[in-house]
Amino acid sequence: MFFHIVLERNMQLHPRHFGRNLREHIISKLMKDVEGTCSGRHGFVVAITSVENIGKGLIRDGTGFVTFPVKYQCVVFRPFKGEILEAVVSMVNKMGFFAEAGPVQIFVSNHLIPDDMEFQSGDMPNYTTSDGSVKIQKDSEVRLKIIGTRVDATEIFCIGTIKDDFLGVINDPTTI
Amino acid sequence: MEKGGGGKGGGVGGGGKTSLKSIPTSLGGKDDNSAKSKRGRKVQFNTEGLSEGKFTFSSKSDGKFETTCGKGGLTKGGKGDKVANGAKVSVVKEALPLELRVEQELPKNAKCLMDCEAAHILEGIQEQMALLSADPTIKIPVSFDKGLLYAKTHSHFTNPQAVKGLFQSLSEHGVTDGEICVIANICPETVEEAYAIVPSLKRMVDERICELFQAKRSRLNDLLKEVLIQLAKFKST
Repeated sequence: MFFHIVLERNMQLHPRHFGRNLREHIISKLMKDVEGTCSGRHGFVVAITSVENIGKGLIRDGTGFVTFPVKYQCVVFRPFKGEILEAVVSMVNKMGFFAEAGPVQIFVSNHLIPDDMEFQSGDMPNYTTSDGSVKIQKDSEVRLKIIGTRVDATEIFCIGTIKDDFLGVINDPTTI
Repeated sequence: MEKGGGGKGGGVGGGGKTSLKSIPTSLGGKDDNSAKSKRGRKVQFNTEGLSEGKFTFSSKSDGKFETTCGKGGLTKGGKGDKVANGAKVSVVKEALPLELRVEQELPKNAKCLMDCEAAHILEGIQEQMALLSADPTIKIPVSFDKGLLYAKTHSHFTNPQAVKGLFQSLSEHGVTDGEICVIANICPETVEEAYAIVPSLKRMVDERICELFQAKRSRLNDLLKEVLIQLAKFKST
């Protein structure tokens, strides 16, 4: 789910940037530093929407660098345990399948795929029901529920399930 | 005194264990503390086995929660082991379903966005990005594109404000922002589907029954139904 959140960060700036364009320099450095990063607490920082306040700079001893406390608003994307998401399947193998929802990767193990769906290997590996009516393969859209998350320095991995009511394939790319 | 309580507890724990996980009941031979902690853990297995039986991920945090509660229950109950057990069971029942706890997990200054709102904001930024991209030092991160694509493909509505207004009635009934966002993002077609997707809705309604009166539930049902019908309208336009 997306969030709008106010975050704070101390920006270190080289003295050569001081001058009329100080603010612009701080903001562009902030964008470079922050956008696209990921933290376990806040999730993926998708975009900065505005800079609320840039505090008074503090000169660091010895280096001449100046630290500015910056308060900024940004849009973050973070998955939650228990959240229902619609995701696009990116890879299928006999262990289960991977799906992507925005910047987040979700793995659905074959234990969490309904029992009546069997793995079929081939050039287009997929999970299919015995009557062939439902098929999960690459580019299928599935609705899944997140049951676990693991946070890395730069990525969030999720474990999902489609073994519940109202979960599973939404559309089948082959029928479109 | 305490030792006796612990011993009893160990016995109870052991019984539960054999039936659950068939771990040898060597518990009786152990001292008080380990017995206590084991019991805490056992309770956690218990929840898993009964309700979810799904994943170790969720068990980690839940496990901690359970053990602390278990201990609290013990000290409160004192020697009355049965009381302590009873308290624990009720706690366990509350923690059973895997529910969305957005509000607890996020800092206070965060605001949930529906996908359509996010798409709206991100599209606005994308226009600015086009200007900025003239500067080669600024790269548009991959997660921005992915996020935007995701928000765009999953936003069912074009008018976030109207959708927001629609959910006003629900939030007055105590439905949290997080729950509303999930409903708006998934856009369920029936009330049952909405309850299946956001199980915490049910719990809230149950609480309300205790606090107030039964009519509430049907009221929320009606509201939800109405909102979903309205949502469907927005979707088609």
